[in-house]
Amino acid sequence: MPSGNTNNKVKALVLTGYGLNCDVETAHACELAGARARCVHINDVISGEVPLEDFQIMVFIGGFSWGDDHGAGVIQAVRMKKNAGERLLKFIDSGNLVIGICNGFQTLVNLGLLPGFDGNYQDRSVALTHNDCGNFRDDWVHLRINENNPCVFTRGIEHIELPVRHGEGKFIADEAVIERLVRQNQVVCRYAVASGKPAEGRFPVNPNGSIHDIAGICDPTGRVFGLMPHPEAYNHPLNHPDWPLVKQASARGQISHTHNFVTGIHIFENAVQYFQ
Amino acid sequence: MADRLEIALKPKLFDAEGAGIKNKASDYFGICPDSIRVIRIVTIDADLTPDQLETVRTEIFTNPVTQISDFRPLDFAFDWCIWVGYRPGVKDNAGHTAVEAIEDVLGIRFGPGQGVYTSRRFCIRGGDLSRHDAETIAKELLANDIIQQVRVYCADEWDTDTGVGIIIPKVRLDHTPTVTTISIDSDETLSKISDERNLALNPNDIPVIRNYFLEPAVKDERKAMGLGEPTDVEIEYISQARSDHCNHNTFQGRFFYKDMETGQAETIDNLFKTFIESPTRRLQEEKDWVVSVLWDNAGVGRFDKNHYYVITGETHNSPSNMEAYGGAITGIVGVYRDPLGTGKGSRLIMGSYGFCVGDRDYSGELKPRLHPRRLLDGVIEGVRDGGNKSGIPTPFGQVTFHHGYMGKCLVFVTAVGMMPSQAAQTPAEQKTTSPGDLILMCGGRVGKDGIHGVTASSEIFSESTPAGHVQIGDPYTQKKMHDFLLQARDEGLIRFITDNGGGGLSSSVGESARFSGGCEVWLDRVPLKYVGLDQWEIWVSESQERMTVAVHPDDVSRFLELSEKHAVESTVIGEYTDSGKLHIKYDGDTCAYINMDFLTRGFPQWEFEAEWIPPGMRGLHEPVIGEPAEYGELLKQMLARPNICSREWIIRQYDHEVQGTSVIKPLVGKDRDVNSDAVVLRPVLTSERGLAFSQALLPFYSEIDAYDMTACTIDEAVRRLVAVGGNPEHIGGVDNFCWPNIQYDPKDNPDGRFKAAQLVRACRALSDTCLAFGIPLLSGKDSMYVDGHLPGRYGETHKLSALETMQFSTTSVISDINCCVTMDVKFPGDLLYVLGETKDELGASEYYDRFGYIGLNVPHAEPEKFLPMYKTLHKAICSRLAASVHGVYRGGLGVHLAMCAMAGNLGVSADLDLIPARQDLRADHLLFSETPGRFIVTVNSENQMEFESLFKEHPFACIGAVTKEPRLEITRQGETLADVLTADLKSTWKQPFGNLV
Repeated sequence: MPSGNTNNKVKALVLTGYGLNCDVETAHACELAGARARCVHINDVISGEVPLEDFQIMVFIGGFSWGDDHGAGVIQAVRMKKNAGERLLKFIDSGNLVIGICNGFQTLVNLGLLPGFDGNYQDRSVALTHNDCGNFRDDWVHLRINENNPCVFTRGIEHIELPVRHGEGKFIADEAVIERLVRQNQVVCRYAVASGKPAEGRFPVNPNGSIHDIAGICDPTGRVFGLMPHPEAYNHPLNHPDWPLVKQASARGQISHTHNFVTGIHIFENAVQYFQ
Repeated sequence: MADRLEIALKPKLFDAEGAGIKNKASDYFGICPDSIRVIRIVTIDADLTPDQLETVRTEIFTNPVTQISDFRPLDFAFDWCIWVGYRPGVKDNAGHTAVEAIEDVLGIRFGPGQGVYTSRRFCIRGGDLSRHDAETIAKELLANDIIQQVRVYCADEWDTDTGVGIIIPKVRLDHTPTVTTISIDSDETLSKISDERNLALNPNDIPVIRNYFLEPAVKDERKAMGLGEPTDVEIEYISQARSDHCNHNTFQGRFFYKDMETGQAETIDNLFKTFIESPTRRLQEEKDWVVSVLWDNAGVGRFDKNHYYVITGETHNSPSNMEAYGGAITGIVGVYRDPLGTGKGSRLIMGSYGFCVGDRDYSGELKPRLHPRRLLDGVIEGVRDGGNKSGIPTPFGQVTFHHGYMGKCLVFVTAVGMMPSQAAQTPAEQKTTSPGDLILMCGGRVGKDGIHGVTASSEIFSESTPAGHVQIGDPYTQKKMHDFLLQARDEGLIRFITDNGGGGLSSSVGESARFSGGCEVWLDRVPLKYVGLDQWEIWVSESQERMTVAVHPDDVSRFLELSEKHAVESTVIGEYTDSGKLHIKYDGDTCAYINMDFLTRGFPQWEFEAEWIPPGMRGLHEPVIGEPAEYGELLKQMLARPNICSREWIIRQYDHEVQGTSVIKPLVGKDRDVNSDAVVLRPVLTSERGLAFSQALLPFYSEIDAYDMTACTIDEAVRRLVAVGGNPEHIGGVDNFCWPNIQYDPKDNPDGRFKAAQLVRACRALSDTCLAFGIPLLSGKDSMYVDGHLPGRYGETHKLSALETMQFSTTSVISDINCCVTMDVKFPGDLLYVLGETKDELGASEYYDRFGYIGLNVPHAEPEKFLPMYKTLHKAICSRLAASVHGVYRGGLGVHLAMCAMAGNLGVSADLDLIPARQDLRADHLLFSETPGRFIVTVNSENQMEFESLFKEHPFACIGAVTKEPRLEITRQGETLADVLTADLKSTWKQPFGNLV
């Protein structure tokens, strides 16, 4: 990890508390990407004790906020909107970056920060609902990145494997909304087979039945991004399920030594580089 | 005025939950509804205005994209409608978060008695369904009458205006808290009161208790406090503290052991001291990585210079047997509080599970409270929600099916945490209470939960009596508390911390006050869920999600400030003293005043007769089976057996990636679908060190000898670790015993003496094997009385005792995770090795069980011989000489060669003639013997010389190779015994539970 004057570092706010639970690895991922990460309790954002102005990146992390008993991310969104809604809009308006992962994605869509059509960051027009399989599911998925999307976080990535772990990740919206998301290249990543072709709804390649295999979307500016898979959980090459096989292959010279696992850190690096 | 909001998915959307219920109704009962839609009901008892109601409806409870909602009953057509809601006093987690959300959105505070209650109704279409069908779905799938109420409506019975009505399951006790005195005028009187109050006092303890309260000095001191005869607070406290659950009387007992064959007799005074404490103390001196054992809530081992890991295991059998989901979620969430309450507190990094249940497809005459299938569904979901919602990965677990668990299921839950070696510049593993420290209770509130355990289950329910004996864990409340307490720890605010489990405050305060030498507790300050609890109930309640913390008075305001920020309730409930007294007050009046040392002196040890009848004397013998001919078919059958086949459906429901630490996952291989021997985590994200974890359960061998059951279980748990790269020099162990009743009774427990002897033998094996392997026991627990009385066909009952069971968990620290290895064969041409000798050890094997035999030759572990080979294998793994390593476990070599091939999606050819065997064995014996101490290893042929030279001191052989053609080919004396496509093996292995998600 490059060190240096931390004052010059891009600062990332990792939102915690109320049952959110990916704080440690998300902060670690931000740090690996070169940011200075700080875990901040939702109540410290609301009280203003920690001002959003101190940060360039805000991460809505995974977990079960308020137990997710009334729809995943719903209460977190209600609470943030009521108590810090204006500040959030200002944060985005100031050119900063927001990423929502899993429960964070669910929160962003319930806040209306996504899809953010026409600069409207208040309307709920898409939803993440119960997986078609009817259960929570932990698996690794292939994601095909739309090369024409404006998303800051996925620049230079065509294909990435990441773990999914959710019970409510099925992306749905009215046909017109889906069509518009596609047209505006706001569909950032789609569940795919290993070759990169779309999953076309097939379980378990598409783990939840998402319409159009949608795994993540961004706003029209590309600065607000939400996705169900967990880039922060792929923070080390050895998180990847195939690493023991790849290691053997590489020892035998059967694949190039430079076989790179494109880890989820890349997504955070893109965010940091955006400010440099 | 209360209002009822109904919420449902828009009719055009797929209802996954309804579809799941529909499938189960059809799979389990042959009831085939056309469709099921789920309606969630939120009943708000808070006098909200119409505007306020509309605000919460739209802002909180209705997703505009997916849902519709109405304060009038939603109009979904049905043939049958089933409403399911909680009974009063059952934890309604969604109700509680709804209150938080409503308060926040409206900027109001709920008043006393106001609340939100959630329930559901299920609209079932299907004209062919009878009322009986609907009731079956209600009672066997949707609700458990212990915790839930049910109403079933046909279309004609439904009032479209009122719907289910307004149902408010509020607890109303209408009771003034009262301290009652208990008469101790004779042993008989106290014994009678013990029976009446369900105290379960041991008859031998009764005179000790009476004598204490009759001592003149004690009487005088009590008189000065305004006390005479003991109060119910005191007697309940003593009863809790002396219970087998809290005091481990069985393991502390004196055993008169006799071998009925040799006549040899011996007395073992205290199983715990002899077989657990003493070997662990010895090993602690040899192993400098053992940081803290045998006193705290969990054991502590060193991970690296700056970090320690913490581990313990528990069971939650009886509650799970009554209410599978509630019991299991309470179990896993409960065991997480042990590391949280170890030292000054640990962050949770993983959990694991072990489920032992009856046959999933049981269709016999016995009528268990919950069918094993339903029970398994429930415990799986309980651990799922408990782990996932806590943000703690659940990467390992096992399921064992056996008829004996019909009497009572077993639910093992294990928790691992991490602590820094230093917390606020003090050793993090140490803690103590000092006079003047304040006693704080953090987390949940106190209700009539868990009081007297499940004995309360026979009480008759009324509309407003709390059904508190079976609880539902609340991971959300606990996660908030976990985050809060770790921050408090890091700020140096915590002097002592322990959890509230069995015995509640009586246990946590009672035990922590031993350090300071006394305490004064103000029970009236304890926050309650509802008014009307008696003082003794507050003192012994087992309400969940609570920790007891000692805080210096100077730190209390900061502690409470942090607590408030994290939305955690913390309350000062007393003070530690050095008075030598446990002093409890309520509204200023003393209601208990007991010498702190009373419980540690003078109570008689429990005593057990143990009679060992060796298996031969019991008539066990080897079966006479001629050699099979169709090995391919046999092997497939073996793979499809319930105790061997794939349980991917369970593993995938559990988040095993959260915290981003996963290195070796629970499912590995080309298609990531075959079970790994163990899991490896990278708990310190900035480090390349790993923590390996595994477990084993082999209760079957207890049918022959619990000594070998224990030794083989430990060996398997060790081998599992070594297989992924665990270091045999650092193996920590956790023993969890689950045993049927061992107290002999000529009528009720005629084989009690034998079961006692099995326990003695198991404990001896634990000691012998751990000493031989060098495994200090970091933690352990015992759960006795794993028996049940099940009704039969004619109203008669049958006692069923579980197999004598011990789950063993192991940990190891891996210095470089890059050296870890998985069990899948990886490259065609790699050489296939078997390490370790195969012996004629099929007693109680899966193979014999296939044909209904037990046999006699139970597998026998030889840890002194095995360990050097394990160390050599570790060296080979660290030198990266092994491409795959897999232990040979239940089912033997045949089954596990298949596992390696299935994981790699490649072929394996094996020549049985080459297998190292102590004697000349028949092919089926070679393939299915369960001799411990063996591994299957594949090696790149370039590494052949180096690998083989390492092992020259050990029994090993190259028996074949990995092949490109994906088939398992087994030969004997030049002839092909089996030749099966790997894909066929895999589909057979996956088939039994393959349609479950």
